Amino acid sequence: MRYQKLAAAALTLTAGVTFATQASAETRGYVISWFATATNAADFKANCPEDRNKGRIEWTIRDLIAVGYTKEQATEIVATAVDSVTLPPEIQNKMDTRAVVAGKPASVYNYPEAVADPNIETVTGKYAYGFDLGGANRANKFEDPDTHQLIDNQLWRAVGCTESFRAVPPVMPYPEELAWNTMVDSAPGWAIQITGNDLSKDGKVTITLNRTTQHPERDSNGAVMTNVSYIIDDSPRSHNVLQGEIKNGVLSITPAFVRLQGEMPYYSEIAIRDTQMRIKFEGENLVGYWGGYINWIDYVYMYTARPANGSDSIGLYHALKKMADAKPDPKTGQNQEISATFRMEAVPAYLTKLDGTVVAAPGPGGGRAINTSAR
Amino acid sequence: MTHRFGFLWRTILLATAFSSTVYAAESAAPEIPLSLRISPQEYHKTIADVFGSDIVITGRFEPEKREEGLMAVGARSANISADGIELYDNLARGIAAQVVEPQRRKTLFKCAPRDVATRDDACTRSFLASAGRFLFRRPLTEQELTARVRRAGDVAEKKGDFYAGISAVLSEMLLAPQFLYRIRKVEPDTANPGQNRLDSYSRASMLSSYLWGSAPDDKLLKAAESGELLTAEGLWLQVDRMLSSPNVEGGVRAFFSDMFGFDEFETLSKDATFFPRFTPKVVEQAREQTLRTIVEHVVGERRDYRDLFTTPNTYLTRPLAAIYNVPIVDKADNAQPDRWIRYTYPENDPRAGILSQISFVALHSPAGRTSPTLRGKALREYIMCQAVPAPPGNVDFKLVQDSSNPNLRTARDRLSAHATEAMCTGCHKITDPMGLALETFDSGGGYRTSENDAPINTTGEHRGIKFDGPVGLAKVVRDDPAITTCVAKRSFAFAAGRSPTANDPAWQQIEKQFKDSGYNVIELMRRVATSEMIYAIPAQTASAQPVK
Amino acid sequence: MKQHSFHRRKILRGMLAGSAVSVGLPILDGMLNNSGDAFAATGKPLPPRFATWFWPLGLGESDWVPKTAGANYELPPQLASLKPYQKKLNLFSGGQVFLDGQANDTHFTGVQGLMTGKVSKTREYYGSVDALVGDVIGTGTRFRSLQVCCSGEVRAGWSAHPQSGLLPAEVSPHALYTRIFGPEFKDPNAATFTPDPEVILRRSVLSGITEDRQKLMQEVGAADKAKLDNYFTSLRSLEQKLEVQLQKPDPLASCSKSAEPKQDDGHILTIAEDAMARHDLFAQLFVHALACDQTRVVNLAISNAFCGLRKAGDATSHHTYTHEEPIDPKLGYQVTCAWFQDKYMKALGDFINVLDSVREGDKSLLDRMVVFAFTDHGAPRLHSVRNYPLMTFGGGNGRMKTGLHVPRPGDALTRVGFTVQQAMGVPVSSWGVGSNKVNSAISEVLT
Repeated sequence: MRYQKLAAAALTLTAGVTFATQASAETRGYVISWFATATNAADFKANCPEDRNKGRIEWTIRDLIAVGYTKEQATEIVATAVDSVTLPPEIQNKMDTRAVVAGKPASVYNYPEAVADPNIETVTGKYAYGFDLGGANRANKFEDPDTHQLIDNQLWRAVGCTESFRAVPPVMPYPEELAWNTMVDSAPGWAIQITGNDLSKDGKVTITLNRTTQHPERDSNGAVMTNVSYIIDDSPRSHNVLQGEIKNGVLSITPAFVRLQGEMPYYSEIAIRDTQMRIKFEGENLVGYWGGYINWIDYVYMYTARPANGSDSIGLYHALKKMADAKPDPKTGQNQEISATFRMEAVPAYLTKLDGTVVAAPGPGGGRAINTSAR
Repeated sequence: MTHRFGFLWRTILLATAFSSTVYAAESAAPEIPLSLRISPQEYHKTIADVFGSDIVITGRFEPEKREEGLMAVGARSANISADGIELYDNLARGIAAQVVEPQRRKTLFKCAPRDVATRDDACTRSFLASAGRFLFRRPLTEQELTARVRRAGDVAEKKGDFYAGISAVLSEMLLAPQFLYRIRKVEPDTANPGQNRLDSYSRASMLSSYLWGSAPDDKLLKAAESGELLTAEGLWLQVDRMLSSPNVEGGVRAFFSDMFGFDEFETLSKDATFFPRFTPKVVEQAREQTLRTIVEHVVGERRDYRDLFTTPNTYLTRPLAAIYNVPIVDKADNAQPDRWIRYTYPENDPRAGILSQISFVALHSPAGRTSPTLRGKALREYIMCQAVPAPPGNVDFKLVQDSSNPNLRTARDRLSAHATEAMCTGCHKITDPMGLALETFDSGGGYRTSENDAPINTTGEHRGIKFDGPVGLAKVVRDDPAITTCVAKRSFAFAAGRSPTANDPAWQQIEKQFKDSGYNVIELMRRVATSEMIYAIPAQTASAQPVK
Repeated sequence: MKQHSFHRRKILRGMLAGSAVSVGLPILDGMLNNSGDAFAATGKPLPPRFATWFWPLGLGESDWVPKTAGANYELPPQLASLKPYQKKLNLFSGGQVFLDGQANDTHFTGVQGLMTGKVSKTREYYGSVDALVGDVIGTGTRFRSLQVCCSGEVRAGWSAHPQSGLLPAEVSPHALYTRIFGPEFKDPNAATFTPDPEVILRRSVLSGITEDRQKLMQEVGAADKAKLDNYFTSLRSLEQKLEVQLQKPDPLASCSKSAEPKQDDGHILTIAEDAMARHDLFAQLFVHALACDQTRVVNLAISNAFCGLRKAGDATSHHTYTHEEPIDPKLGYQVTCAWFQDKYMKALGDFINVLDSVREGDKSLLDRMVVFAFTDHGAPRLHSVRNYPLMTFGGGNGRMKTGLHVPRPGDALTRVGFTVQQAMGVPVSSWGVGSNKVNSAISEVLT
């Protein structure tokens, strides 16, 4: 059962594995092997001409000033700290608990509202990846470097000038990469099924997203291994059926809500309203973008929940809050959602149900050395 | 230098050298040693059987050597070098330290010292006598035991720790030749006055090593002690008992690991650029896959040995299934160790039998690309017991162009160009047709249909039968009588430490019984283990002195 | 060597980065006698040392042979990396192994002949040059010899005891470090010395094995007796190791502990650069082990003779290239094979350099030793057992002249091994079997 079009009739194998799928259709299976905030950081100067935010040393100095040290004192503290980031515990504690709640010191990461907005620099450049989500404010629009359409991606505007987001794929933004690498060997994976009459041609397709019961298996290079079998978790909470189309080899979908459960400290959940997708078939893999509106507090929680992850949590919190561009709170008027784009990759996989039914298999040449060179 | 001249030169040389060392060396055949160095597998198994499988054995062993196709035969002449003894010493001390750890004392010691801070000779004696009997594969002599009890006591006193004394002496016993060698002793044969035979403990250790891959258990040692093992009936009963025990899996694993050259797994590595799925875990699992396939076939189902080469049944894990590019359903909870799932290839699948497994096609390929010659050679040597001559010296390979040559895209093209060299054709004819049939498996064990965009031709001929592809090859291999002769011969040699004599009627009888059993490997083991042939003392060991 | 000191320091810094190593210090004058070649306190001469260094698959065709003999010859491009050490190098060309009618078991028979003096139809391999030398110079140290293989192949070495045969190679630098400089290491320069009571106990317990010897010997035949004899010889070396640990070592000013390499499991390496990186770690450990007199004989193999090393990203191994790569019509050699050879020779240069940078009295460590560098084939493309490139480095404690090219076309290659044995003080008047038997050394390289 190397690659084959899955036939209408369920084929029972002696191994207890059954193939089944819709009539005269093929279903290819994938597991997500890369997922992170879509960056466009190749030209940092164009994005962030002031280069004001800088890295950890600088925002630590800013935080020290915020708790009452002079700039000179703050610079000295950082300069004498071990590896220039590990501050003496009492100083670190003073910074961490600089929020005041009900008259008492409290964790600034739990109460980011309780401290002033450090007002970090946000992206003023022209380009970002994404989709036109219908955002009305023309001043907020970026141009997508690939499609040259005007698009909505205020998430990138908020985060794109901080050092940890200066990443060009395959490098992920640092905190996300750190979390991904920590979690990938234990957190359940996310599976993609693409069903269509002939996936080598343009036409209508159905895309099904699910969580798997197993974590992604890694290969010798640390990447996610191709052609591994995964069991699909039948929980409806991470089950998404999307209508899509392949046109000129690019897969897109009719906008829909997408929800996939994750595991902290990585994305605890991917929940994107009005999701659009632009996915290319690159060799045997999928590479593309998902865009839509997300709850900005859920996103920034990844950073405030793990302040040591190497990013300016408080700066990001306030930037995201300001840049949020959808779903205003009826009482306060504060937008609860932010337009966002994520970049993803997926590798071929066998997807089965718990009862052994194979619902998707790798596509032609899927992971198989169909034509290896002798050298 | 031409062949003809080479011949002449050799003749002259032999004539001039005749009176010197060459002559002397050939005049007296060296005596064959009877005792064998135990293999790393048997060492592991013995420690696990005697002290529990939770004892961690860390460290390397002195490398084994292969003779007459088996490490088990090489063990005859395997020495323990100065560096090797350091390795065994490290292993021994590591094991001994674990044996006396507080959490194991309750299970491993039948007694507790009256005072843990000093010697207790009675308790020491009880422990050393019991452990020593399994490690030395016979009861310790009074002299061996007394001296050790004394030394353990001395250490215990000096260190103020009863268990330190035990640990010190136990590590010494694990380094002793009585443990590291399966020593075979000779005694006068009471049934045939004037002749010698192996003593019954030697028989016991041969049996346990052959059938279980381990040291004798209590019942076997008792049968040795009572002399039961020296009688045909007693021997048959013990062999029957041992073959009915689940431990027989240990013997089958040890034998086939040896026969199929699985020691090569130690140095197996693939280029991650080309074979990213070939992880270290896969190397472990690939070996286990084949051993599981064999154990189920041979022990569990007692099926015809020949069908191992065509069986569609095997066991897979998720990482292995990814290489074989098949789906597998492992219902184990997330992040639990991979489970072994029984898998049956569908009909018309390009894979069947153990030759299509990673343990053959990847094990016998270089790190980056395939070599039909290496695969063919492995098949001939490991599975058919046929010798493939080494490539001759002074071969000019200049006809073999590099693989980027647009006319030589597949291994078959390149080898054909090479084999036009007259001196190469002969050997390549032996190895290549079989190896080329497996070319649809890349060096990492994955399936492919073309190489450098040229379709792979897997046709060939063996014993006048034409075949195509790996399954076609598997069928002709299955029907080649060489494979059953080979496994029987190797099984005997694994037990005896030497190959059988082909024209010996007793040997021919075993071969016939194997055939009559439907090539049932367990029946073969029964016949070999109960045959007096393996216990016979070869004529070359005439100087062996009976035990007084 | 002054003219190359910059180069040398650079390499040393790189290799010993971060460690508190005192290579290059002279043994204090007060500790040496007037001529600077023996300890003043005991009159014991400073020890000679010996190393072998194996690289796979020769140097290609015959174009590496220098055009002139003797001193001041032009070093061939294949050996360009060794230029800084030419004055301490002897290059032997033209020698061959005589097969005496035996088949050429390729990649094996040649080494069998040149290292053990005997070509036989079996794979028997006993008594390599280094072990014969070790029997004379290496008996008083903790380790009679140390052997490593950079590619991670335990059986890839060529060092074999006269009776017990091939010695396993260490493949993990960290494991080697632990063996030499772990808890059992006694610093010869330590102010105080206390015999370890643990070692005393271990030695006494080991006597249990020896006590059983006589009885055991009575029970077995002659062949088993020989095998057990062998075992007891090895056991004796283990006991000796313990005895050495119980004696206060002579102070050695140039001795210091090596830096501890990173943890590693010594796994198989198939990328040439990775193996060379491991080579440098082994070289560092060796030089410290020699300077601390923990051993006097070290043996290094780059890889198995069927070399499986590759360029990163290239599926074809060096060995396969030797047979399949066409000879470049313009350059006249196999280009990719030359790439591998250059890597090995660069590593050999680094090895020599590190040995030469340790001072012991008036000489360098290299001057006190002989490094014997050898390979498996003359022209590997043809599996030739003729015209081998062999090298020695170092003056053998004043016993060898250096800086020479010694062409001996058609001569037995065993003569080089024999010459080396004589230089290292092995009392031997002839060596080898059949046509490979020699009874005179190459006098032009002996002082």
